[in-house]
Amino acid sequence: MTELTLRRSELDRARVLRLLQDYGVYAGVAVLILVNVVLTPNFVSGENFRTQAVQVAPVMIVALGMALAIGSQGIDLSVGSVMALSTSLLSLYLGYGPWIAVLVAVIGGMVIGLANGSLIAFIGVQPIVATLALMVAGRGLALVLLPQLKDVRDPGMATLGSGSVLGIPYLVLIAVALAIAVAFVVRRTTFGRQLLAIGDSRPAAQLAGLPVRRVLIIVYVVSGALAAVAGVIATARLTASDPTSLGTLMELSAITAVVVGGTPLSGGRVRIGGTVAGAVLIQLLTATLIKHDLPPSWTQIAQAVVIVAAVYAARERGKR
Amino acid sequence: MKSTAQLGRTAVRTLVATGLSLSLALTAGACAKSEDDGGSKDKDKGASGDGGQVVSSPSAGNAKTCTIDQFGAEKLDLKNATVGFSQSEKEANPFRIAETASIKAEAKKRGVKLLTANAQSQFSKQISDVQDLIAKGADLLVIAPLNSDGWGPVLRAASAKKIPIVTIDRKINSKACKDYVSFIGSDFVEQGKRAADQMIEATGGKGEVAILLGAPGNNVTTERTKGFKDRIKAKAPDLKVVFEQTGEFSREKGQSVTEQLIQSNSKISGIYAENDEMGLGAVTALKSAGKKAGDVKIVTVDGTRNAVQGIVDGWIHGVVESNPRFGPLAFQTLDTFTKGEKVAQDIVIQDSAYTEKNAESDLSKAY
Repeated sequence: MTELTLRRSELDRARVLRLLQDYGVYAGVAVLILVNVVLTPNFVSGENFRTQAVQVAPVMIVALGMALAIGSQGIDLSVGSVMALSTSLLSLYLGYGPWIAVLVAVIGGMVIGLANGSLIAFIGVQPIVATLALMVAGRGLALVLLPQLKDVRDPGMATLGSGSVLGIPYLVLIAVALAIAVAFVVRRTTFGRQLLAIGDSRPAAQLAGLPVRRVLIIVYVVSGALAAVAGVIATARLTASDPTSLGTLMELSAITAVVVGGTPLSGGRVRIGGTVAGAVLIQLLTATLIKHDLPPSWTQIAQAVVIVAAVYAARERGKR
Repeated sequence: MKSTAQLGRTAVRTLVATGLSLSLALTAGACAKSEDDGGSKDKDKGASGDGGQVVSSPSAGNAKTCTIDQFGAEKLDLKNATVGFSQSEKEANPFRIAETASIKAEAKKRGVKLLTANAQSQFSKQISDVQDLIAKGADLLVIAPLNSDGWGPVLRAASAKKIPIVTIDRKINSKACKDYVSFIGSDFVEQGKRAADQMIEATGGKGEVAILLGAPGNNVTTERTKGFKDRIKAKAPDLKVVFEQTGEFSREKGQSVTEQLIQSNSKISGIYAENDEMGLGAVTALKSAGKKAGDVKIVTVDGTRNAVQGIVDGWIHGVVESNPRFGPLAFQTLDTFTKGEKVAQDIVIQDSAYTEKNAESDLSKAY
């Protein structure tokens, strides 16, 4: 009898934690919005929502690629450096016009992704090591190509950075479109299924005859491309290419968004909605602390608390 | 188990992939075509001539000095000496670029052999850089220290060999004339005070202002903040500092933080940015929020060409200069010292300022 109640209460606990992992991030966003509506002047304004959405766009786009990498039981530490490389290439090729420059920047990101994927899929280097190597190399390459900040004067880039349609900034539209596309790929395509199977168990996927290597390479190429797009967007917003500081610690923000969003680091599961909400949660947290002029170190501590809470929920669930 | 043939193929594929990335690196440089800048502003940056430093502090007399006899080294002729220069950060921002260029230009001008090293913002690397420079035969050292503390081991090695050291832009916490000879640099507290003066003038000494702080835990940040706040408190008690957030000396952070600021606080009448880059980020934020030039008064510190251009365009009210062209003064100090004459232990340079009055005419002095 007592044993039975004990088991039931444990079950309840597991259920609560599961709910927390699945929906905690949305609850967190809702709470932060509520707090701000009450406490922050001018929070409820189109202008403010636009600002938050524009600021979160690059992190969100990078986090989409990161979610795929983590879902395949990997990780991509090179994303911040890919952003830097992307901004360098963009600046170097703007002479040919914005379209070509953006294309070159995205191809650059894909090439870094290809190198990541090849090291991981063919040589069998651990994702954390392979992408760490390209994180270092990518930043170096970016600085060789463009050693210092350079202004971007191209009118097309300026429009991309500050223009909007029906009050929604282009940058936000791009981020939302990419999120929908990635969510579709994960849920509705063979590739998505294969990715999750590989993330669950690579040996099993191999035995089942899935194209493990091809899928892994595509994952990192996509992650590189997304990071490059984020680099383009950040450049357009700043109207300057700054390879020294652009994308620094971006990998950590992206991993945080993914993990807080309920994607387990153990792979086999990808939650795109949660990832988007995770990025928004961090953005709102930072914005709240800045708007109320609290010490910047608090932001980092608050982020740490959120991460630990998210990982705790995921860990309990894994034990079940 | 994989067969050798398979392994070989794998290796080839990876090689192809890595080769691709490498070729990207090479071609990227080769066929690049960037936007036209208008002017060749990257050239002759930091070259001496106009914009060289002027000493402000040692008005002779009571200032502490140092001679080569006190230091315990032997006289030598600078022309035949080897000078080692240890730079702290990568030359990726205008200040460091101008600083290194100025040291190199002056060495070339005087025909002195110069060895250089760059610590890439890692203190441990700077320590070994300096040890390397000594091992390579530097007779004199010019150091732009990354930190003020932690120089014990290096200074002991240098003073055992009686190598005179001049530190530039940041001071070392150690005994002048014993562990090192002189420090040449700006007074960051004074820069903050002068920025405050400009802000008081711009706002009429009333209203609310914000500070975009530099990187946390950096003495430049602390001192530029202290000078600014002290002066505001003393001269314009009606001017309130209502917002202090770090922009980490970067344009992007300066922009993001300013965007948050102007939405939640529409009454802000001035922004003090502790370097030009954050100030330029604030300008971008104000522009995209639909503000007009001059709506919010921006005062920055550094004196880079982009910021001074910002004054000409009306977006920035004033820039307090922090002069990076240490070359002439550093070599002049070494020359005087090695001849056996006395030099000051603390050489504070006179920084100028840019306002709407002189921005256009002095634009060429900006770095």
